[in-house]
Amino acid sequence: MSLRVGVIGAGGFGLAIAQASARHGHEVVLWSRRDRELPDPIRSSTDIADIRDCELVFLAVPARHAVEVAEQLGEAIDGRHSLVHVSRGLVGAELKTITQVIREKTVCRRLGALAGPLVADALAEGRPSGAILGTGFPELTEMVREALGGAELRVYDTPDVVGVELASATVGFLTVVLAYAQELGAEPGTLAVLATRGMVEVSRIGQALGAKESTFMGLAGLGDLIAAVAGDQRPEFRLGRALAKGIDLSNAVGEAGAYVEGIEVARHLMEHARRLGLPTPISSTFVAVSDGRMSSDDAIQALMERRVGKE
Amino acid sequence: MLKRFLSERPLRLPHIKPYVPRPSDPSIFWFNSERDDIVADVVKRICSAHEPDRHRLEIALNDAAYHEIRRLETQRDEEARDRLGYWRSMIRRIGKMDDVEQRRVLHTIVTEMTRDVAGNFDPRVYRFARQAAPRLIGGIMEPRRLVAAAPESLDRVLKVQGDVELLRQLQNDGSLVFVPTHSSNLDSIVLAQALEISGLPPVIYGAGKNLFTNPIISFFMHNLGAYRVDRRIRVSLYKDILKLYSQVMIERGYHSLFFPGGTRSRSGMIERRLKLGLLGSAVEAFTTNQVRRVDRPVWFVPTTINYALVLEAETLVRDWLMEEGQARFIIEDDEFSQIDRWFAFFRKMVGMRGACIIRFGDPIDPFGNRVDGRGQSLTPTGRAIDPGGYVEQRGKPVIDAVRDAAYTRELGEVLGQRYEQDTVLMSTQVVAHVLFRDLVQSTPGMDLFARLRLRGEVGLDCETLCQELGEARDRLCGLEAKGRVRTSDVVKEDTPSELLERALSFWNGYHDSTAATLEANRVVLRDPSLLLYYQNRLVPFAEEIASPDQLQAACEIENLGVHR
Repeated sequence: MSLRVGVIGAGGFGLAIAQASARHGHEVVLWSRRDRELPDPIRSSTDIADIRDCELVFLAVPARHAVEVAEQLGEAIDGRHSLVHVSRGLVGAELKTITQVIREKTVCRRLGALAGPLVADALAEGRPSGAILGTGFPELTEMVREALGGAELRVYDTPDVVGVELASATVGFLTVVLAYAQELGAEPGTLAVLATRGMVEVSRIGQALGAKESTFMGLAGLGDLIAAVAGDQRPEFRLGRALAKGIDLSNAVGEAGAYVEGIEVARHLMEHARRLGLPTPISSTFVAVSDGRMSSDDAIQALMERRVGKE
Repeated sequence: MLKRFLSERPLRLPHIKPYVPRPSDPSIFWFNSERDDIVADVVKRICSAHEPDRHRLEIALNDAAYHEIRRLETQRDEEARDRLGYWRSMIRRIGKMDDVEQRRVLHTIVTEMTRDVAGNFDPRVYRFARQAAPRLIGGIMEPRRLVAAAPESLDRVLKVQGDVELLRQLQNDGSLVFVPTHSSNLDSIVLAQALEISGLPPVIYGAGKNLFTNPIISFFMHNLGAYRVDRRIRVSLYKDILKLYSQVMIERGYHSLFFPGGTRSRSGMIERRLKLGLLGSAVEAFTTNQVRRVDRPVWFVPTTINYALVLEAETLVRDWLMEEGQARFIIEDDEFSQIDRWFAFFRKMVGMRGACIIRFGDPIDPFGNRVDGRGQSLTPTGRAIDPGGYVEQRGKPVIDAVRDAAYTRELGEVLGQRYEQDTVLMSTQVVAHVLFRDLVQSTPGMDLFARLRLRGEVGLDCETLCQELGEARDRLCGLEAKGRVRTSDVVKEDTPSELLERALSFWNGYHDSTAATLEANRVVLRDPSLLLYYQNRLVPFAEEIASPDQLQAACEIENLGVHR
């Protein structure tokens, strides 16, 4: 059965979702601030009221715009709608997830977070790929599979929504760390230790926030990190490399070519971990490096000198 | 024998002339005329859910027999003598029974269990309880004024806050489900009284069967619409019956009350992890009415019950510290069962203005949206929406248990947040927090249990304490201005030294050992575990009300609540 799909945001992911949905024969309207030329049969709109008739809405805007867009969206959607976001960020120092923001600003409750090693180009062109959908609503999973899935996209699901959102947000930061280490010439074994222990570190904080450890070790966490390290051209990777070349943070962000939230997320996570009394050696060390408070040699030494314990 | 007879078959007054409810009577007045129909409805739905699948039916019967045999073998009482033989014989025969026989047995078991759960409502008992309860409670507080103006004592102790007018507007248009925090066995009594003085309708509620063991309490409970919940019964069918009974009552427009925390908060913390079973039954009641096109909405009223002094504080905190909260589900030997503690408690309370505050929060629909006086669900910006949309699939309302379970989890989250916002912090809690924080600060590196053993070993300078108390109070008022929490008038209006004096006076003479005493301008901590219990109400706010040098101690306190 054909669905009426609404997409909010005309960035790479928004366009890819719109294209994939249209390819599967669904009626698609894409909302953005500016009117755009879009390939048929995708309808472009700048009026948020056009989303009202959609059954399934994808929110594809960066986390820093989530509050503002959710407020606008709140005037168009209600309890009938199902909404999935694809943002990889968190909002503010209190580490609010995007679903929390949507719950606060709208009355939509059938919510989900789509994450994992999903790349916009692969989604748009229908190349084989996979993703994870965090939602408590099985009917929403069915709708997303109907809208985007099929033979080319395997959409797994989990009820651990907060886990998917936190894992997805922290992968951005770990990608920066790994790119930095790789640029400095770290061996594959060193990268593996950094990736694994980094994931353990962020999953510990995630668990304190209500997430499940298994979500961090699945598609939303390690799966996504493998895709990033394998070279899916993420801006976080470019940022990490630029920092390793000695470029300061503000210029390195410019070199990344896109807004990168990873380091900001890491700062807030560290603050949270401090309050909870959880250790964050990798995050703390790397934030110190990115702020110019520590050299790369000192960072490696600080990490290597730490007492080793049980895994 | 007589006690068991009365608790199993509670006394009902004879009816010479049946009472015919008036249109203006609350919905509960119709209960007796509908009771058989309600029981039949529950039995029919439970049986029809099991009957089509022989495998499921057999599992249900085996589960019932297995758990009942285990329970009765442990109980070894009169009930065991009567019923053990029945269950043992049944469990041997289940596999040999044909379909018809299995269904007949299921029907019998479900009917018996449902009848045991269903209550009774007698308007005469209700009227008597309305008039007598305040006088009796007031009398306990001030015996010499028993005849004259005793209810005034109760008014002085019990304060009701919240938008009561909005609830009154809603009471005839749908089912109100009151979902309060739970600290004491007195909760249902004071809440019933709060409803009465606010002009709100009586509610039905599930009362633990342990409360029915006293024939007098049993008489009142049974005749005021309470349904019986026997927590010793672990049978799945019984749990299904309880949920469905609650659901059917809400579907039919009976205003209800249940405690989503399940049992009393052992730690004294504001509940965050809620039991979703009964909450889910109310959500499903809404869905069922939508599917049947019955225009009877369901609204939840998050309610906080705030005591300056908790009757059972010592037992509860001891239970929490022993980490036996789960195992000792029903505490039968606490202060609630000791009448002398009741007297001491009420006498202590009456001396203090506003010692118990019931706050009715703003009502919400089953999806966490606020509701206006016309019963419309509203968006955060005030746009009215149709809550029926939440249970629609492709434009049609449908029953979907998994979806409703997800809505229930979300509702549980919203209630947890609302409890925090609507908690009214009392003088004893604020003072206990500042004292306990000082204890933590003065004993760095010590674990919780070592600190709790420091009885009479830590003394704090009164002047410094008052200064800290003033600062903490100011920060709490700041949080109140942002809508994060509330404080009692006493906390707002007293000077820090009055606040300290008031809290010490509350504790002194009621609990077995007082929490703290004033000795030569120093406050000596006498029972840190009592302080811990009272201060636990402030756990979510500890960090925000601490000064920079108290931050480390505040973080330690806040971490106590990570798994609450």
